[in-house]
Amino acid sequence: MLSIQNLQASVDDKQILKGLNLEVKAGEVHAIMGPNGSGKSTLSQVLAGNSAYEVTGGDVAFEGKDLLDMSTEDRAREGVFLAFQYPVEIPGVSNLQFMKTAMNNIRRYRGEEEMNAATFMKLAKEKIQQVNLSPAFLKRGVNEGFSGGEKKRNEIMQMLMLEPKLAILDETDSGLDIDALKVVAEGVNALRSPERAVIMVTHYQRLLDYIVPDYVHVLAGGKIIKSGGKELALELEEKGYGWLGIDEEANA
Amino acid sequence: MSKQNMSETNNSTAVLSDIAFIEASNEVSPLLKNFCQTKKQALTSWPIPTRKTESWKYSAKHLKLANNYSALPETTSSYQAAYELDCYTLQISNNRIIFNESTIQGLSIKRFSELNEAEAVRVREGVIAESKDFQFADLNAAQLIDGIYIQVDDKAQIDKPVKVIFEHIGQGMSFPRVFVYVGKNASFELIEELNISSDEDGDAFINSVCDITVADNARLRYLRMNLDRLAIDKGACKHIGATGIKMLRNARFESYCMALGSDLARHDLHVKMLEQGAECDLNGVCVTRDQQHFDNHTCIEHVAPHCTSNETYRCIADHQSSIVFNGRIHIHPDAQKSLGSMSNKNLLLSSKAEINSKPELEIYADDVKCAHGTTMGQLDETEMYYLKTRGVSSEQAKLMLTLGFVLEVVRATPIESIAEFWEQQLTDILSFQES
Repeated sequence: MLSIQNLQASVDDKQILKGLNLEVKAGEVHAIMGPNGSGKSTLSQVLAGNSAYEVTGGDVAFEGKDLLDMSTEDRAREGVFLAFQYPVEIPGVSNLQFMKTAMNNIRRYRGEEEMNAATFMKLAKEKIQQVNLSPAFLKRGVNEGFSGGEKKRNEIMQMLMLEPKLAILDETDSGLDIDALKVVAEGVNALRSPERAVIMVTHYQRLLDYIVPDYVHVLAGGKIIKSGGKELALELEEKGYGWLGIDEEANA
Repeated sequence: MSKQNMSETNNSTAVLSDIAFIEASNEVSPLLKNFCQTKKQALTSWPIPTRKTESWKYSAKHLKLANNYSALPETTSSYQAAYELDCYTLQISNNRIIFNESTIQGLSIKRFSELNEAEAVRVREGVIAESKDFQFADLNAAQLIDGIYIQVDDKAQIDKPVKVIFEHIGQGMSFPRVFVYVGKNASFELIEELNISSDEDGDAFINSVCDITVADNARLRYLRMNLDRLAIDKGACKHIGATGIKMLRNARFESYCMALGSDLARHDLHVKMLEQGAECDLNGVCVTRDQQHFDNHTCIEHVAPHCTSNETYRCIADHQSSIVFNGRIHIHPDAQKSLGSMSNKNLLLSSKAEINSKPELEIYADDVKCAHGTTMGQLDETEMYYLKTRGVSSEQAKLMLTLGFVLEVVRATPIESIAEFWEQQLTDILSFQES
């Protein structure tokens, strides 16, 4: 589904990704772990199409198409979803209106009919309750005045609405209490299916107790330096990044 | 000093009385005759604003007054409401008053020519009428033929809003004037709508005045909008208007000003809180495009202690258009325990658009809370990106963010059909289907 080859990217002329390779097949869940400053968020942002990050080399294919060549919105329409580490507040635009516009954009792109208002409302109410938020949040400005946990749950609500093929979770677990973490994990697990894939970017092993990955990769210095099964995460948790010869301080 | 002499001594400076306009006729109420004469005299010493005139610094270049304004033709009204609303309607059409209503429970509506002495005093002592700061309001008074006087009885709760339409058809200048007195404990909604229609480009110039008194414990909601197709389609007209509000004890005043640009559009909103416990809430939305210009001047005077004011204005300028927001809060020495807050947020949609925002706080009392905030910006790249990561197109993301910026204020408009109408208008205007 996703094939990343020798990806290099920089921000503000500072090279962050230095030749990253990753293969993700449909149905798989991959965890990408690594110390601060290793390039985890850069990878997420580059895949979603943030123009602040400059791709300086390498290729990314998504279902055989050149992902890097697509606009941000087309990537979303093709089925890529990024749950933000820091979701953006947009006063004046309601969550509901935002999701309706997004969903209809995606449906039009796929040649489907727009969803009628009643069906949409029903779906939106169902999904917001699924992440344990009151339907009142639908009428509020996007993330406006939401707490940290509410913002993260709102990201998962959007993901459940848009049903992406590839979901990238950028440190979705950071700053969450255990209840919110469970809600987020349940949301992601609900979406797991043989046709979909998930990339979880995280600093801690904690989330992986709830969303069990098929593969774990360690990202350091802009490259993946070690890959393994879910037991790799446990080993990392136990021994720390220093075990792999990574100087966490120097990286940060 | 006669007009002749003024012109000779001030060769270099053009004054407002140099503009040829229709003289005040004899029809005006004898009780207002002196008032009109005094204002006419004042015109001889009012320089036509230039960019050196502080209050016209950014707007003078758009003023471009003609030397001669001919009388407006007598025509039949072509006014059609742009939105559905169950309301009472009054109209001043090409300086001619049209009463569409016979009697309205709780209201007395008269022409200025029918005023008694006490009522005439109120008209003469209105905030705008008394002020020496509004040259165009003086020009309005100097030309006055007649006006509408609306009085809300004490304790009356008027069941429907009253809409006053200032209609202007063809070339020339019109000078509608309204006075509103909201009696004690009464509650009233007033809509002022400016509407110009003219076949050609050129000088359609509407110069309006609305003076209001809100008596003890009374409540007034005031909606003001310029809605002519010209402002929307071409911007080929001028609007200058002043609204003055006197607030007595525990009075409450809310305003919602929805403004689209024109060749030149200007609104002066001046609130005087004269007695304790008064509270005002001023809201404004201003959207300009092409070469349009809109100038908002607001002034809130806290004259008495324990008064509260809130002000929220949002402005968006696109293309080569320009907007001025000049918001003044003046707290007098006796006005202890005043609470004032003013927020003005501005959005520039093009590199050639211009917005000048100037908060002015003048505080002469020491025990007050007064805050102001102004922001100026372009669309937020991070917000745009966030919307796009969900599949929203660039154009739609831009529209959503731009609309969102003003809709917060539009949706606060208390009359639902008007809020909906403006939401639709602004959606149409801000849709970025650029050629």
